[in-house]
Amino acid sequence: MVLQEQEPGTSGPLVGQALPYLDAVERVTGAVPYTLNFELPGMLHVKLLRSPHAHARIRRIDASAAEQLPGVAYVLTGPKLRELPVNPYYGVVILDKPIVAIDKVRYVGDIVAAVVAVDEDTAAEALDQIEVEYEELPAVFDAEEALRLGAPLLHEQMPPQRATFADIIVSREPGTNLCNHFKLRKGDVAEGFRQADHVFEDVYSTPAAQHCPFEPHVVLAQWERDGRLSVWSSTQTPSSVRADLADLFRLPQSKVRVLTATLGGAYGAKSYIHLEPLTAVLALATRKPVKLALNRGEEFLEITKHPSKFYMKTGVTKDGKITAREIVAYWSAGAYADISPRLIKNGGFCSPGPYVIPHIKVDSYAAYTNLPPAGAFRGYGAPQAHWAGECQMDDIARALGIDPVELRLRNALHDGDTFATSEHMHDVHFEEILRHTAAQIDWGKPKRPAPPGKAVGRGVALALKSTVTPSTSSAALRVESDGSLTVLSSTVEMGQGSKGVLAQIAAEVFGVPYDRVRVVDPDTDITPYDQSTTSSRSTFSMGTAVQYAAEDARNQIRELAGKLMEAAPQDVEVAGGRAFVSGSPERGMTISEVLLRSRYQQVLGNGTYVTEGGLDPETGQGVAAVHWHHAAGAAEVEVDLATGQVEVTRYHTDVYVGRTVNPRNADLQNAGSVILGLGQTFYEEMLYDNGQLTNGNFADYMLPSFEDLPRAMTNRLVEHPGGRGEAHGLGETAVPPVSASIGNAIRDAIGVRLHELPITPEKVLRALLEQRGEEVNEE
Amino acid sequence: MKRQLTLHVNGRAHRVEAATHHTLLEVLRRELRLMGAREGCGVGMCGACTVLIDGQPVSSCLMLASEVRGRPIETVEGLADGDRLHPIQQAFVEQTAFQCSFCTPGMIMATKALLAENPDPTDEEITDYLAGNLCRCGSYLNIVAAVKSAAARLRQSAPA
Repeated sequence: MVLQEQEPGTSGPLVGQALPYLDAVERVTGAVPYTLNFELPGMLHVKLLRSPHAHARIRRIDASAAEQLPGVAYVLTGPKLRELPVNPYYGVVILDKPIVAIDKVRYVGDIVAAVVAVDEDTAAEALDQIEVEYEELPAVFDAEEALRLGAPLLHEQMPPQRATFADIIVSREPGTNLCNHFKLRKGDVAEGFRQADHVFEDVYSTPAAQHCPFEPHVVLAQWERDGRLSVWSSTQTPSSVRADLADLFRLPQSKVRVLTATLGGAYGAKSYIHLEPLTAVLALATRKPVKLALNRGEEFLEITKHPSKFYMKTGVTKDGKITAREIVAYWSAGAYADISPRLIKNGGFCSPGPYVIPHIKVDSYAAYTNLPPAGAFRGYGAPQAHWAGECQMDDIARALGIDPVELRLRNALHDGDTFATSEHMHDVHFEEILRHTAAQIDWGKPKRPAPPGKAVGRGVALALKSTVTPSTSSAALRVESDGSLTVLSSTVEMGQGSKGVLAQIAAEVFGVPYDRVRVVDPDTDITPYDQSTTSSRSTFSMGTAVQYAAEDARNQIRELAGKLMEAAPQDVEVAGGRAFVSGSPERGMTISEVLLRSRYQQVLGNGTYVTEGGLDPETGQGVAAVHWHHAAGAAEVEVDLATGQVEVTRYHTDVYVGRTVNPRNADLQNAGSVILGLGQTFYEEMLYDNGQLTNGNFADYMLPSFEDLPRAMTNRLVEHPGGRGEAHGLGETAVPPVSASIGNAIRDAIGVRLHELPITPEKVLRALLEQRGEEVNEE
Repeated sequence: MKRQLTLHVNGRAHRVEAATHHTLLEVLRRELRLMGAREGCGVGMCGACTVLIDGQPVSSCLMLASEVRGRPIETVEGLADGDRLHPIQQAFVEQTAFQCSFCTPGMIMATKALLAENPDPTDEEITDYLAGNLCRCGSYLNIVAAVKSAAARLRQSAPA
């Protein structure tokens, strides 16, 4: 099927066009080859036995009856793990997670044993035959409590740290549950508070949530005859998974191959190493290919969003200039570190907000708790941080009698200002996006009249988010003898449309139609290194690498064409699928002819994009981000005064995009971010009873549906005025302002501040009753 | 214990083997290798496994394969005519009415049932009808646009 109506040989700007997904036909015919659909000849299936206790010592485990069942090939338990030639502990930053539990379980759902069998039914039946004796231990579920003296200790020995990514700073203390402490020190907060006319102190919190990618985590593993390991994994980070597996099995990285197909959603859940070590160990023990796919209930136990608690202290002058912000943040990391050490750093340094503040102190703590591990979740700590900071900004504005938009504008960062990290900000547009966003809900004009029994309110929020820095992306681009382009990239297509975006960038360099480009799936044997498909970094970092690779390949074509046409390479132009002498388009030939007549057949271009930066481990000063994603959100709500029900009647977001590659994809990212934010604001919350998750299914854990959309929902992509700005990734940008703008709108409507997400009707109603001085009926 | 049964899928009869507890979804995927219907939740709440039985949308994760013997089953794989996409599929492509696309086949099958019942639905009728089909990526606005575009297309091609 022709995706794009364009005459062959014509060229035009492709970057900026709303083109369909490159694989759109597969997407509407049910033919997307998700890892979930993969099978290997003779493969075995896995089911997992999980801990019923939040914290317990394993006294005894006996899987001998299970192993005897017909169809069962193998059962892995802690004692057997220790006999295998593998490091039993893994983790992207800290080696704290056993492949299956050894000695102890640390949360309800911790993997205790894995059964490998001919099919899933057989494996599931065998689980009942495994006997485990536990000795329960005291457990801790709250990050702040976990850091108190005498709290139950999750990891008695401090697990070793690995050198993974250059930006990660780890500060721990032996004998505590501290997983990481990030410090930011700028100026002198004591002095800043002395200069303040008013000091505001508030506490905000957010709950655990789950990403709920519709395709769960899926891994297939197979050991090859030559001793190499092949792993097919639904991961956002194939390069990182390869490195981690190589370490675990003490293999050179070249002996590990990670292949990643299109993902059925990820939102951060599939970042870094998860079930690959277990699946590879089971394949090793059985000498067979093995497939492990989680079910929905298990997905809730694999990885979560960090519950957070923020203590925000802000000093302001009477005319609304912020003099100091002191922030203490607690993040519940769950039982294992995953990427917590980095996330709480990024959530920490963005928590002062997009403002000029001379004196800042941030202490951001990740604590081990007896809950499922927490990791990357769309927004990466910024939604939690800005929920706190932006709610407080509104309360400050109201206390000082200053308009909330005006208060933000008096403090907002502009080009050349220094941020909390002391880096000089460039290409910032907070003032423009805030003014425009507020105007979309008629800010400054009278509120529209409320329907009977309801109150109307409006609120705004402003947010910034980093992109991981430093980071590296490499790409290669092969020009085929038929003149088409093949992009080799390890960026993972997880629904964001990265294949199309990279194809647009490559096609534009050559002036060939979009559908003359193929983008291959990540395969660490073939596609070059990429740090990760995370942090809204791919359009910018991988896009730049692909552009460099395309330019490199184009230069090679110019060389070859120059020789064939007896022209200097610098006089050869490549456009519209042809190479020709500048100024005389008739003196030329197709790219295919260049490759065939030169007998090169193909050329391969390479491109690498590396960014620089990093923070001082003691002060958090330095360069946190090569560029900053920024967004403003504005909400209008109606609050039902009898039921506490909140309806978002209008929502608008402005995001800074720099340069738009595909406006329809960009709109989808923004709409998706806002809708995710609505779920986080109003109902998404993992509920625990003594560490036991009570709503780990889609009947009890609500996701936003068609019926939950605001009556009007709009977004604007703000481009660099010069037209050639850096193309920002947009995967997360619009998420962080959602909750705070809605919280601020509710406060505007009913005069009540809610400090804890989610904002349920019960909480709103309780607040309304308390405000009226009425008894709160606990029923 | 596995038993033989006959399923009528996309106009063709298929002999399959299934245990009594196997759902229609499992059998479609495992025995017939039709991968368009997908398990999102396993409890009938997300709609990713939606197929049509007697023209009505059902969650195939909640139906036992043995329950639907002999009844006409339609899946997304039966929509296109060779390389020619169904107008609903065409509209989903043109509007980019998806992101990760895991929910897309279910969304398309539910849309087919909707438009058979109501050829010219309003926005509200669309969101009401599709409320049981979740899209975690949040492509809802584009889906509504695609459903409207498909409806217009189908009305044009239908005999007056």
